[in-house]
Amino acid sequence: MPTTSSSAASSSSSSSSSSSGNRQADVFSRLASSDPEVKLKALREVKNQIIGNRTKKLSFLKLGAIPAIASALSDADDSDKCNNILVQSAAALGSFACGFEAGVQAVLDAGVFPHLLRLLTNPDEKVVDAGARSLRMIFQSNQAPNYDFLQEKNMEFLFSLLNSNNENVSGLGASIIAHACGTSIEQQVLLEAGVLEKLVILLDGSLSQREACLESLATVLKNNPVAVSDFVGFESGRYFDSVTELTKDRYPRTRLLSCLFLVVIYNTSPSYFLNMGTKLRLIKTLLELLNDPGQSGDDAALVFSCLIADKEDLQKLAYEANAIKNIVDILKTGSELQPKRLQGLFLSLAELCSKLEDCRCSFLSLEVLDLMIDALRHKSADVRTAACICFRNAARSVKNLSAGRFTSDRIMLPLVQLLHDPSSSVQVAVIGALSNIVLDFSSPKSTFIEYGGLKQLIELSKSMDPNTRCSALRALRNLMFLADNKRKELFYSDIKAQGFASLISDPDPPVQEQALALLRNLVDGCISSIEFVFDEDGLILDAIGRQLRKDPQAQMAIQGMYVLTNVASGTELHKEVVMQQLFPQEKPGSENFVLKFLQSDESQLRSATVWTIINLTSPSSIGAFDRHVKLRNAGIIPQLKNMVNDACLDVKIRIRTVLGQSMSFGEN
Amino acid sequence: MPVRVVESNTPAQVSGTDPGIRSPLQPSSLLGAGQAFSGTQNVSNQQKEEAWRVNVQIQGIDLEHGYLCGTMEALNVPMADTPVITFWEGEIVDGKNYTFYTGKWEATREDDMRHWSKFPSFSPLQGQVESDGGRQLDLNNYPYIFMRWKEQYFVNVGTDCGLTIAGFYYVCFSCSDGSISGFYYDPNSSPFQKLELKTVNEGRSGFSFSSYELQ
Repeated sequence: MPTTSSSAASSSSSSSSSSSGNRQADVFSRLASSDPEVKLKALREVKNQIIGNRTKKLSFLKLGAIPAIASALSDADDSDKCNNILVQSAAALGSFACGFEAGVQAVLDAGVFPHLLRLLTNPDEKVVDAGARSLRMIFQSNQAPNYDFLQEKNMEFLFSLLNSNNENVSGLGASIIAHACGTSIEQQVLLEAGVLEKLVILLDGSLSQREACLESLATVLKNNPVAVSDFVGFESGRYFDSVTELTKDRYPRTRLLSCLFLVVIYNTSPSYFLNMGTKLRLIKTLLELLNDPGQSGDDAALVFSCLIADKEDLQKLAYEANAIKNIVDILKTGSELQPKRLQGLFLSLAELCSKLEDCRCSFLSLEVLDLMIDALRHKSADVRTAACICFRNAARSVKNLSAGRFTSDRIMLPLVQLLHDPSSSVQVAVIGALSNIVLDFSSPKSTFIEYGGLKQLIELSKSMDPNTRCSALRALRNLMFLADNKRKELFYSDIKAQGFASLISDPDPPVQEQALALLRNLVDGCISSIEFVFDEDGLILDAIGRQLRKDPQAQMAIQGMYVLTNVASGTELHKEVVMQQLFPQEKPGSENFVLKFLQSDESQLRSATVWTIINLTSPSSIGAFDRHVKLRNAGIIPQLKNMVNDACLDVKIRIRTVLGQSMSFGEN
Repeated sequence: MPVRVVESNTPAQVSGTDPGIRSPLQPSSLLGAGQAFSGTQNVSNQQKEEAWRVNVQIQGIDLEHGYLCGTMEALNVPMADTPVITFWEGEIVDGKNYTFYTGKWEATREDDMRHWSKFPSFSPLQGQVESDGGRQLDLNNYPYIFMRWKEQYFVNVGTDCGLTIAGFYYVCFSCSDGSISGFYYDPNSSPFQKLELKTVNEGRSGFSFSSYELQ
């Protein structure tokens, strides 16, 4: 719940006019009046003030209006003369709950839920309507109570709602499904009870029934290809066609909900969307909805990002339909956009930039950095997270990274500051962004390091959470790519041999992999860099050797072998030390990991291993022949001879290099 | 007994493959981010013989999209006080994303064939490329990679430095030893300026590899 803006609003509303404050206090005494006419008038007054007015809702909430209204509701009996009180109190409570999470919470806390349910069986249709509408508001919120679909009586009640002729009541049934059905088990129970047949009928109903139906169908069909197939098959596709037609409806909310439904179908069973025209129509409808000033526009952005997520073909279509410029123009309008909309817009831009270099370049050419930097400082954690993800994906453009587009102080400083953000989703997202942005391709200056980013990443590499350790190490690895000695020394002085050895032996294999990839970069470059692994009597090299002998996962082994490859590209001493790791004296006869890796299914591991051998037997070095003999005697050269027709071209070529080197020793 | 390695000189045909559904090329160790190459570009013209020393570094490679990029540094350039560095982007001829036909940059099909045919490793492919554009070729198992490199901007000098980056290079990379040869094409410059590069190992006795991972 936002605090800063709301407290400012309440203090301004109470200080702006003391007479309105008095009237508010007066309304409370009238709400508690025993005279039904007085009570009714007070209820109407509150209801009329709060409708569509978030500030007033908050103000009345703080004064305790909701419990007072709840009492009015629960005290009223079911007699005719109380009907108006029931209607007005239900309407007021519904209004508090409409689009206002704090209101929903307060309404539920006041214990009105069972009383509102009671209204659904009232003989007066107006009372039923008011109760149903109010409950629907509650069920549209994230705070809605759980609904146990697995309980038979709950299912009976739900179906009684769906079967009702009253559109608000059947709409309520659909809303309950839309917002309370969360698991695939619940989905299955509903489907088996025949909910699809009940819901599709609502598509032919009133506006509010159609909307409730679209939302609930989306929930029930999500990730369920069988249910999708059933739906599409109903009456030979008539309902599917209806939904597609509804994307052209004159009401924006209907257009949005039908798009949302189609996105669910697309993500569950894309085969129903092979037609390019249909895909393009869906994209264009959502892009138009982005301009809607109301809630439909807020939601459209998130729906759009879900549609194009991971789908390069749709991203391309959207790009060609000018999506990037449209979204950037909305962001640049200057008017204050709702956090949900901002989040959706930045996530949409992030998805557009995720795979296509043209999109990234186009986006970055629109002078968007100021917008993104502002979003990094937004009060909503969701917006900050979305902005970081947008940065991360835009920074996949090596062309723009190389041009130094992301390294200015005004970008780097807020990003580094977000490493301390109170929200963990922001922290995770900013490490991802920084991972890419720190790739500066050997530019000597690093604003990231100047702002203390290096120390922070090293701290994060010691986090209790393995994902955080892994992400931090990945960022460090990228930071050390083509790094000069000064940067490497600065980094190493903080982590030292023991720190590295611990990371290489981390219980989590992805952490080991990133630690070794980082080390690989550290020992690349100038030949003196190899000395890092000899620090403290070769502690790091021993740790690597130990891990490689432990039957590691392929990805970790690849990085480990590349470390050895890089070390083996050094001096005679370096090559000999690598040989000691390959053939440790204390374990003669045990299966050599080099042989195991050469027989791996993973071609990159075979390749990395052969490179180590290439470097060890490079003819220009003095001890090459002796090492070659040792490798031959260990069965490694014979193994390579068996691999001359390796399925992977790169492996095949490297093996031929080794064998070519063997022949230069006069090998028979 | 020396091991006889049987190698076919002609690349295999892709039998029964729909030319519309091709896969990207497999990775080649020496054509990777961080790899450095050094050599010369022959910029001779009728007036004089001249060669610039050139260093190239690969900064990124995306085989899925047939894309790579990097920097090119030209030393001892007469018009410049310092080495001139440019950023370039490349298209990999993989039959999926790009073919041997350029289709832009004022290069006609005849220009394309004239340049590709200057690479000895292109001759086994020439017949196929001339007849149907090479759509049946299995470039995935061929030990040479063909590319076009186009410089995009100057990194360290202004556009008024007297140098041009209007043209592009036809490039052939040898997977086995990482050597690169190329021919610069620009209708307004001397034709067939040759680029010849070899891998650089920074004083090491062997090959060293670094890497990064984009999130």
